[in-house]
Amino acid sequence: MTHTLSPATATAHPMESFIQKLLGAKALLPDSETNVLEVVGILKSYGVVLDAYSKNLIYIADHQFLVLFPFFKYFNGRVTLPQLLRHWWHDRINFEYAEYCMKTMLWHGGGKLDEYLDSDDFLQHCRSAVTAKIKTNLPIRALNALFPDFLPEQVRQLAYYSALGQFWRVMSDLFIDLSDAYDAGQVKTIPDVVAFIKAGLVAAAANPITYGVDIHGTRYDLLPKSAGLTFLMDTAVPYVEAVFFRGTPFLGTVSYNAQADQIDVDQARFEYGALYADPLPIGGAGIPPTLLMQDMRHYLPDYLTAFYRSQGRGLDDVRVKICQSFQKSMFCVTSASLQGLLPHPADTQNSAEQAANHKFLAGWMDRLATSRLDIVQL
Amino acid sequence: MLSALILIPLVGGLGLILWPGKLESQAAKAISGASLLLTLGLAGLLATRFDLTASGFQFEELLPWVEPLGLSYRLGLDGLSLPLLAVNSLLGLVAIYISDPKLHRPRLYYVLLLVINSAVAGAFLSANLLLFFIFYELELIPLYLLIAIWGGARRGYAATKFLIYTALSGVLILGAFLGLVWLSGNTSFDYDSGLAAALPLAQQITLLVALLIGFGIKIPLFPFHTWLPDAHVEASTPVSVLLAGVLLKLGTYGLVRFGLGLLPDAWMALAPWLATWAVISVLYGSLAAIAQTDMKKMVAYSSIGHMGYVLLAAAASTPVSIVATVFQMISHGLISALLFLLVGVVYKTTGTRDLTVLRGLLNPERGLPFVGSMMILGVMASAGIPGMVGFISEFLVFRGSFLIFPVQTLLCMVGSGLTAVYFLLLVNRAFFGRLAIAPPASTPQLDVVLPQVSWRDRAPALGLAALIVAFGLQPTWLSRWSEHITLVLHQPYQGFVQARSRFVPAALPAAVADTALVAPTLAQPLPVSPAPVDP
Amino acid sequence: MTQFFVETSWLLPVYGLIGALLSLPWSTGLVRRTGPRPAVYLNIVMTLLAFGHGLMAFRGIWNQGSRELLFTWFDFADLHLTLAFDISVLNLGALELITGMSLLAQVFALGYMEKDWALARFYGLMGFFEAAMSGIVLSGSLFVSYSLLEMLTLSTYLLVGFWYAQPLVVTAARDAFLTKRIGDVLLLMGVVALASLAGSLNFNDLYEWVKVEGLPPAMDTLLGLALIAGPIGKCAQFPLHLWLDEAMEGPNPASILRNSVVVTCGAYVLIRLQPIIVLSPVALGTLVAIGTVTAVGASLVALAQTDLKRTFSYSTSAYLGLVFIAVGTEWPGVALILLLTHAVAKALIFMSVGSIITTTNCQNLTELGGLGRKMPATAMAYATGALAMVGVMPLGCFWGLRMGVDFLSRDYPLLAAVFVVVNGLTALNLTRVFRLVFLGNPQPKTRRAPEVPWQMAVPMVTLSVVNLLMPLMMGKLLILPPWRYINMPLAALILASGWVGVAVGVKVPLYKSLTRSLNRPLRIAQDLLAYDFYTERLYAKTVVAAVSTLARLSSWFDQYVVDGLVNGVGLASLFGGEGLKYSASGQSQLYLLTIITGVGLLGIFMTWTLW
Repeated sequence: MTHTLSPATATAHPMESFIQKLLGAKALLPDSETNVLEVVGILKSYGVVLDAYSKNLIYIADHQFLVLFPFFKYFNGRVTLPQLLRHWWHDRINFEYAEYCMKTMLWHGGGKLDEYLDSDDFLQHCRSAVTAKIKTNLPIRALNALFPDFLPEQVRQLAYYSALGQFWRVMSDLFIDLSDAYDAGQVKTIPDVVAFIKAGLVAAAANPITYGVDIHGTRYDLLPKSAGLTFLMDTAVPYVEAVFFRGTPFLGTVSYNAQADQIDVDQARFEYGALYADPLPIGGAGIPPTLLMQDMRHYLPDYLTAFYRSQGRGLDDVRVKICQSFQKSMFCVTSASLQGLLPHPADTQNSAEQAANHKFLAGWMDRLATSRLDIVQL
Repeated sequence: MLSALILIPLVGGLGLILWPGKLESQAAKAISGASLLLTLGLAGLLATRFDLTASGFQFEELLPWVEPLGLSYRLGLDGLSLPLLAVNSLLGLVAIYISDPKLHRPRLYYVLLLVINSAVAGAFLSANLLLFFIFYELELIPLYLLIAIWGGARRGYAATKFLIYTALSGVLILGAFLGLVWLSGNTSFDYDSGLAAALPLAQQITLLVALLIGFGIKIPLFPFHTWLPDAHVEASTPVSVLLAGVLLKLGTYGLVRFGLGLLPDAWMALAPWLATWAVISVLYGSLAAIAQTDMKKMVAYSSIGHMGYVLLAAAASTPVSIVATVFQMISHGLISALLFLLVGVVYKTTGTRDLTVLRGLLNPERGLPFVGSMMILGVMASAGIPGMVGFISEFLVFRGSFLIFPVQTLLCMVGSGLTAVYFLLLVNRAFFGRLAIAPPASTPQLDVVLPQVSWRDRAPALGLAALIVAFGLQPTWLSRWSEHITLVLHQPYQGFVQARSRFVPAALPAAVADTALVAPTLAQPLPVSPAPVDP
Repeated sequence: MTQFFVETSWLLPVYGLIGALLSLPWSTGLVRRTGPRPAVYLNIVMTLLAFGHGLMAFRGIWNQGSRELLFTWFDFADLHLTLAFDISVLNLGALELITGMSLLAQVFALGYMEKDWALARFYGLMGFFEAAMSGIVLSGSLFVSYSLLEMLTLSTYLLVGFWYAQPLVVTAARDAFLTKRIGDVLLLMGVVALASLAGSLNFNDLYEWVKVEGLPPAMDTLLGLALIAGPIGKCAQFPLHLWLDEAMEGPNPASILRNSVVVTCGAYVLIRLQPIIVLSPVALGTLVAIGTVTAVGASLVALAQTDLKRTFSYSTSAYLGLVFIAVGTEWPGVALILLLTHAVAKALIFMSVGSIITTTNCQNLTELGGLGRKMPATAMAYATGALAMVGVMPLGCFWGLRMGVDFLSRDYPLLAAVFVVVNGLTALNLTRVFRLVFLGNPQPKTRRAPEVPWQMAVPMVTLSVVNLLMPLMMGKLLILPPWRYINMPLAALILASGWVGVAVGVKVPLYKSLTRSLNRPLRIAQDLLAYDFYTERLYAKTVVAAVSTLARLSSWFDQYVVDGLVNGVGLASLFGGEGLKYSASGQSQLYLLTIITGVGLLGIFMTWTLW
């Protein structure tokens, strides 16, 4: 058998080594003992937090449908005095972050979910649900007549609540399972981690994404099964695009001033996502991911807490450390997603397929060139 | 009583010297800290017994010493020296508290600190010119050694420069003292406001010029100031705190006590020149500070600017401006001590004071947010933001001097505006932005990790900040001590002030006293003695 | 009972301060495991208390004369500093405006800042801000007013600098502080002069003093100019106006306050100072001139802005320019009505701006569009605010503008024309922005734009209602003139100018993608306005250049001339050149010995000769 250089490799990509790693079932993150400990540990706490986020997002989508004053939307339907006091004391999960991710996804769009929400089919479903909901509410009916796009836009947002909730449900279980496998000694290296996540993503790839609400005892479908929305392509991929890559400019680090031109006109060129984010400002003003890091700090496994405590300022700058670990773990998740999304099997011998794979990865690597990829290698 | 203030630190120092065997740094620190705490307590005790209405020195002590020379060991305390004395003990304590626990030759270091404290206390307490001079000189050598041994890279140069300048200052002061006493035909060097009364004006002026240059070096005033930035930059943080907070005050204290107090005729003759000199010093110091990129140097130049206010206020010699000198000395002492302290912490944790590379230190997780907040408070106090002692001091300076030297006062206020410029440059460069302690690198770098600043290190800054705010909100806590001495010092200048007041104030038909006090409960009962009004 | 509220009115500014202090445990990071929201709720409660207390005091004093509260603060020799508070219907009304706005802005911030972990610091600063403003309107003494204006400068600095890690914030906060500080230092000069000349700084005493003072006219002029400098900085008037533009880098809820009540505070102090400024016709003339230049200039500049926040911040400067004209022509009543109506309308507009930014992550006018159908609360808030801002309907600002034109047209028809022109230009700009933001087709960034949550919507709707009810409220407070005193032709003129502005705004072509015109002269004019007549460059070339040159010069002089000269010549010759070169500590100890010996010998020598 003679090896011929495929045309793509002939013009070597500047990040060729990463492409080869991904093709070789390795990860964008170097394999080391501490990296495994950090990644698995942080994904464990992330899994716990995602569980809460996911439940709440789905609760809001299902039970706070077009509620104008959702005072208790973070309570999942159980409002007691002690809970209320804890809520006011801000001793709680910061569900605002889940909504922030949801809004980011909604705003960036992408995937069939986004397309479906603009379809007439959706508008019809939406109209009947809305009509049922506001039947007795005269002012809102008047408002709906005056501003016909107001309530449909809210329903689109609720659809994203539900979709992100369903996506995170899977991810949460996957990360907890990963942690269990690590505790059981089944996962030992970063490639193991990536393989585990990839397997989970592939297994759930075709899960349907649906959404419907009960209004006065009647079920109204908003994202019907017939829309054919699936887990991987319609939530996972847009999520990775919106949250890992694009993100939104943080008020704490980027000027919104139109004359300063700091923010690109084209959202596709945004580079504010998790893979690009600078962990240093975490904890400061105007940095939304601080909320996530704050939530995760409560659920760190003991080994990870001990690890953080032994470094630098100990637990005093734990949120920055969590963010650094989180970024590493997100590079693992990205590795798994990219491997899962490869157009052809990674070990294909067909040179055309190899070239297609290579081209696919090269495209992503171009985007990752300005990310923190070089720093997580250190 | 008063001698104890001088002796306690000396005894502490002696204890350190005689300590058998190897002296642990911690033990030395504890002993010297304890002795200064004792002096601080004693100063507090004296304050409670201090008679606010008595004229002249209180708690006087007199021991004849070298009588043929006119040198006696005569101590006294009045409203001018009491606040300074307290600040001396306080900042001495702060300096000891923040001293590096791992420094080499701790025994010598703490002994020197204690000697300085004792000497400064002695200078403030002296009621005899020669005795003052002895203490004034005594403080020189330990400070020289503190810079020369524990200083930075160019410590030898800075220390020598300091020594030469201050030695020259000593010579001039000694010459002036000798001249003053001998020319007036006296035999005693005890303070006496009438000492110079019989001297011809020309001689008085000559003596005053010698004093002005002598103390002008110490304060320091333009153009005798260049030793100060060097000394500060090379000195370690505790020494800088002492230098800025206490030692410079010897100069302004001398100016008020001897220039204003002992040579009134010459003072009146030179006052307009002094005010102009103050303006030059203020503007020059502030402008030079703007161009600095070393944080410590910037704070040092700001000292030059701010000490100029004291000269302006002293030149105006109205009751308000004289009390303003005390205010400004205390306020500058506290504020600059705070600033040097914080710059020291920044230097200790980041290893640099360079404003071209330091960025984003306010970062709450990895940066120095507490230091940053205190720094903002400190620079705002220094820039004269109300609610802090810096404002009321500057307001008194300006208000007291305006009618006498309107133009100079207004120009000095420009200096106050410039303070905001350079300190805002400092804060916005070093504390705002993304955290960095080195210029951006082309290769990927791990994120900065700075050591944590413990509450132990934060405590002194917090204490100083509390005092700065407290005196800013309740200035009477500071003015009450000096009220009487101010009026005494002002006595010879009444005619001068009246003659120089440019715009005779129009009489107010409705005086403040006539308006009803609706809520007298909140009014502070003030220990005000009515001002002696000349008919 | 109401008497109690009146007599404890001095507490009103304290509430905000207490709120600020209560947020310290969270803002300093002492509480780290739980979040900062308790500080938020505490601050809102304190503001609510201040608002309620103020309302009771307002009712208590409605039928009484004003009261003066005096507290002796610092008495020394001939210096008497009292903390004086004037409790009057007017002052309490202004206080209600401030606390009310602060309350709404804080509730609004619950939504706008919900993703921000530094909430405690933000609300603490808002409390501090509110305290300083409340103090200013109640203050009965120039000393207190000055001090609190400085507090306002400080809190503006801290609020603009809230997102301290953002690169433009770094310079914006600095410039906001320094620009205001220029005004403050000049004002301080006036304060010090007044304190020295008049002996008291209480406004009532100063008003008496004005009647008897006998200063030379030149002094009066300088005094007057110094006194107006502070308000010029605070109210963002030419040439100290640029900070407001830069301050738009700060969080929007603070911008709501800054563009409505903060600038009002500066003008309020100006109105209190007006009886003193009348001493100097030059100062009054300057007020009018500055006001006119700013009103017209800023209205034009606002037209060319592409930034949603900045275009309205310039309009704030323009309206405050009208206030300056009113004060300069000694019509404080006009100034007060304008301040009140402008504050209420502008706050509403800034709320809708905040909700647009939250929803679209964008404040670039050329990238917005088509939001009207999706965001009813925001669109209606904007529309209501816009209508209340200008004289097109008998809502808020119409009455202020009408009164201004009415009074000014008698003696200064040209100044009345300025009011009309500003009204027209503002109407034009508001229409332009409305079209760009709410009409047209959705753009990528406005494609998905769900309306904001209730925390932001409720304050918006509330304030919209307040704006609509404003004429009724003003009638109830007896601010509006009886029907028969209204000069109908002039009122019609105002309405006409407003509608002309709207019509032009509707007709003018708007380019989305290419905002710079291809026509060269037009482009030059557009750039000139877009960059605010290049004021920033003017600053850079003049003041900034002067200060930095002087600074570098002093530093150079210090290093080479003073140090070199004094060291090299003076001391080296005295102690024999080698000295300064010694640096090793061993050698310098030897050196030390020589010096001490030298000094000692000198002493003995002098002693000897005179012995």
